Amino acid sequence: MHTSAACSKHFAARVRVSKGTKAVTYEEFNPPHQIAHRKGWLSQHTSNLDGEEGAAKRTLEDVFIRRFMYGTFHGCLATPPVIKRRANILIICAIIIRRIPPFKYHFLATYTETLLSYLYKCPVKLELQTVEHKPVYKYI
Amino acid sequence: RCNSSVNLKIPNFLHLTPPAIKKHCAALKQFCTKWPEELDTDEKCEVHFPIEVQISDYISAGPSIRNPKSRVVTLNIRLSSLNLDDHARKKLIWLVGHRYCKQTDILTIKTDRCPLRKQNYDYTFYLLTVLYHESWKVEPWEASKSREDMEIYKWDGSPSEATLNEIMVNIRQAEHKPAPTVDELRTSEEIKSYSESVEMLKNVGETDQNMHNYKEAVLRLFRLQHAA
Repeated sequence: MHTSAACSKHFAARVRVSKGTKAVTYEEFNPPHQIAHRKGWLSQHTSNLDGEEGAAKRTLEDVFIRRFMYGTFHGCLATPPVIKRRANILIICAIIIRRIPPFKYHFLATYTETLLSYLYKCPVKLELQTVEHKPVYKYI
Repeated sequence: RCNSSVNLKIPNFLHLTPPAIKKHCAALKQFCTKWPEELDTDEKCEVHFPIEVQISDYISAGPSIRNPKSRVVTLNIRLSSLNLDDHARKKLIWLVGHRYCKQTDILTIKTDRCPLRKQNYDYTFYLLTVLYHESWKVEPWEASKSREDMEIYKWDGSPSEATLNEIMVNIRQAEHKPAPTVDELRTSEEIKSYSESVEMLKNVGETDQNMHNYKEAVLRLFRLQHAA
């Protein structure tokens, strides 16, 4: 039962334009229909190819890994982590902001790798890149 | 600038470049034996190794190396390399149905009903053995093979022959001439060419050449001249 008219607008993964003070990264700025045009994929594995199995499992693993990364490196992730799978290995690439002293990053990275490798029973590699500030593409 | 799209998202296939593959091959070479020099042509390979078995391995990105598609086993063999007499060959072809290709004379047996590849492999060879032995056996009910069961159309003894003979007799009767003898009908050139054209049509199919030959044979049979 509707009490008002339907609003046919797309809201998925889009940053709405504001007064010019909002800093957005390249990733955030390009909406989802630009994937495969101006954007790449954040998650790379073979399960979505024709005749391959395990797509749902990989997706579920990705969801958990993203939440895990968001929580472990809280406030430090500049961009959503890119998850790549190469045969058995799980590679998580992330760009992090230098908010905490480096030795803490060493601990967090090794902690992530060990915990996730025990969880998913496969080698997990973390490839981190640090930046001073979030890489801003535009102010909208 | 640390743009994740540029730095992180590009999947690289550098592990599949020709120099990398060359290194892999070089490393594996020490475990391989040399190809026998005597087997330098495909024909020689087929003479010595008539059976071809195809199996497939699958790799994907994920923690498991198992793929259910890898249990499929396909066996190819040319029937000419099997010791079959005429009856056995016909029976084997009838038994296997769509698994036999007439153009290449190759029998293909594909198994995937067992969960493991080894089981499917053994089952494939078991099937081949059973087919071979069964095709050599002559069962008592095979004696009741009728014209409908024949693989090739033979004009001798067919309803077409009976009808034609009747027509020939009627023609002679209409011309007030004595009825043709059995020998006359069998050795007549026109009837022979007609029987050959009918057999071609039934066995090979309706091609332009076959239809033309049939037309010529019928016209010749009834001594009619075709329009120039």
